Amino acid sequence: MAYGKVVVLEDIDLTASEGEVVALTGVNGVGKSTLLSCLAGFRPPSGGTVSVLGGPPRDDPAFWRAVAIVADQPTWYPGLTVRELLELVRMTHKPLPGWCVPVDDLVEIFGLTARADASPLSLSSGQRQRLSIAAALARPSSLLLLDEPEQSLDAGFRRELAALLGDEYAANGGTVIMATHDHDFAVAAGARIIQLSDGRVVDPDDDFGTDPDDAGTGYDEDPADKPDEYLAEEPDQAGHDQ
Amino acid sequence: MTAATATRTTEAPASVAAVRSFLGKRRRRSWVDWYATGFALVIAAIYISDFLASPLHRLSGQAGQAAATHTAALQAVTGAGLVIGAGAGLLLLAQALGPLILSPADLSWLLLTPLSRRGILRRPALTAAVGATAAGALLGVLTLAMAGPYLRPEGGTLPGSWLALSAVAGAGSCLAAVAAEALAQPGERARVLVRAACAALAVVALAGALAAQGSTALIRAVTAVFGGLATPDFTIAAIASVAVACVAWLLLWRAMATFPAAALRADSARSGRALLAAGVLNFSLLFWIAEDNHWRGRLLQSRPWPKLSPAMTLAWADWRRVGRRPGPLAVVTIASVFPALLGAAFTGKAHGILIAAGLVAGAMAAGLQGTAGARRDTDSAAMRRLLGVSPGQVLAARTVLPALLCTAWLALALTVLSAIGALSGWWWPLLALAGPGVAAGVLRLARTAPVDPSDRGPDLPMGNTPPWMISRFISIAVAVAGSYPLLAAVVQGHDGAGKVVAQPVVSAVVLGIYLMIAGGMGR
Repeated sequence: MAYGKVVVLEDIDLTASEGEVVALTGVNGVGKSTLLSCLAGFRPPSGGTVSVLGGPPRDDPAFWRAVAIVADQPTWYPGLTVRELLELVRMTHKPLPGWCVPVDDLVEIFGLTARADASPLSLSSGQRQRLSIAAALARPSSLLLLDEPEQSLDAGFRRELAALLGDEYAANGGTVIMATHDHDFAVAAGARIIQLSDGRVVDPDDDFGTDPDDAGTGYDEDPADKPDEYLAEEPDQAGHDQ
Repeated sequence: MTAATATRTTEAPASVAAVRSFLGKRRRRSWVDWYATGFALVIAAIYISDFLASPLHRLSGQAGQAAATHTAALQAVTGAGLVIGAGAGLLLLAQALGPLILSPADLSWLLLTPLSRRGILRRPALTAAVGATAAGALLGVLTLAMAGPYLRPEGGTLPGSWLALSAVAGAGSCLAAVAAEALAQPGERARVLVRAACAALAVVALAGALAAQGSTALIRAVTAVFGGLATPDFTIAAIASVAVACVAWLLLWRAMATFPAAALRADSARSGRALLAAGVLNFSLLFWIAEDNHWRGRLLQSRPWPKLSPAMTLAWADWRRVGRRPGPLAVVTIASVFPALLGAAFTGKAHGILIAAGLVAGAMAAGLQGTAGARRDTDSAAMRRLLGVSPGQVLAARTVLPALLCTAWLALALTVLSAIGALSGWWWPLLALAGPGVAAGVLRLARTAPVDPSDRGPDLPMGNTPPWMISRFISIAVAVAGSYPLLAAVVQGHDGAGKVVAQPVVSAVVLGIYLMIAGGMGR
């Protein structure tokens, strides 16, 4: 995977199975967000193949019914309240045949009850981040891509979110792939942790890649030392093309 | 924790129309919003009609009278070239913006959903089509207006059908071009081709306009074409352009169903930021967007810092930037023909305040290419302190590049004006020594504080004047003062030989005073 002549990711070999939580970790600029972009189909790989839900990312209604992504800071409709925004998300994804959380429950779980009738523009950055993630869970999906979901969230809610992702979303058959800098959050979500360094997957037993101070230590490693691959089942496509 | 539904429902998928209706009902627009929109439209209409009054007046020109004068003919040919060049420029701008883009909120909440992609894009496509139709119709009428005095309609009066058919032809051409740009939007190679085609059209139009300045044969040929136009020509042009536009939009309509989200995300995000920055006059953000767009994905080779004095070492960053990105400089260089063309198109003669304004604006644009390091938002006091140099020394070192750029650009523009006979006398290019004086204004402009739209400023007789506006006017005034002998000579059309001595003295004084004041300010 490259931006022009700048190679960001190389020799990536990963498989995530149904109902699994995968956490991508590594220092800033290592390629975590780029890998998520590849999975969403925003950037075609310069070599190799990317297979999501049994095929290449397709950018069609069936794909976006199955895949939810929380990446950039969203822009809000000025006229919509928190509750109306969540209703809009459900409306755009109708019918809703799989696991998802009703609006009232989402508002409560994400601690937005007092602000349910307020404009998202009046929320704090942490509340907006909560709302972004809540919106992804307001509709059914098979694959949830999260780019640093822990941003702006307090420690207590991170634990609750980790439990929601691991114990509810993944337990109901959804796959979560997230880029994160919070090791504890990833562990709490029961995630398989994939460390990236210098654009490659590195041995999870080495602890470089998680600490910014260790950013350079992986550069001298022999690429041949990396694990062959993370084996898992091919994802099941059933139920994605509703 | 409660979470539900795992049941399959028979609920029908939502349509984009239903979603838009849902959003529309909650828009909560007050009468103030409508008033502000209406007021803005009225003001825009007043300004546009005022701007167009002069060229459109040519439509009522008497053919026999105007055709006799060389000035009128030159004005017609140059004007037509500039209108076509402006059209190409608009298409380049549309291509840079998208042209198919979604609002930031639609991008966040509608694009990556199962909703019909074509349905989501219907509104942006309609917006692009309306914009293209309006701009194209205007350009069509303007082109006709440029040819106005040379048209030979039966009965001597310009028929309304010619005006309508010109507008239709212009609108059709513009619609077809915008649809082609939208079709090329997802592919980088196709975008480069479209960009190259638009740039080539602009260059040919400007080159033709420039060539007309010294070629009577070309003027005669073009005005003869204008004189030979008849109703069937306008009809064929209108039908052909509408037919091409229909085909292009049909293709776009088909492509919209599978229009890639990746291209829409990238273009909409960039255009959204750019439009917001333009809306609040945030020039720093506009610079940042342009720079980010250019440098992202490029792999640069690091070079060692040069062995120069500390102040020159800091200033060297601007030289390196200009060397790494010569494109904008090339565009500014080509623009050195504009003072000659503007004079011919608007006044029909070379002398005039318009040419003087063109000279100052062009020289400032050239000088600004070398001020990235001096800009307030990028200047690093830490580097200066690390190298142990005073603000005045750094500013003086940073003056060299803009002064050279301004001087070189003025020399080029004055040479063009001399070459086409607009300015007589071999010594005109020597007045390019106004460059250092203009550079003082350029540096001041670059170092001005960012625009704060919330600061309404003092209540002056002409109303509230924001400080950012006052500050920028002062910068332009400094540039005008620094090049006063040159501008006076151009405006008055005097024998400017005496000004050749005065100009370097004025430049040195203005630049010296500016460096003394700004250098002592400690940043």
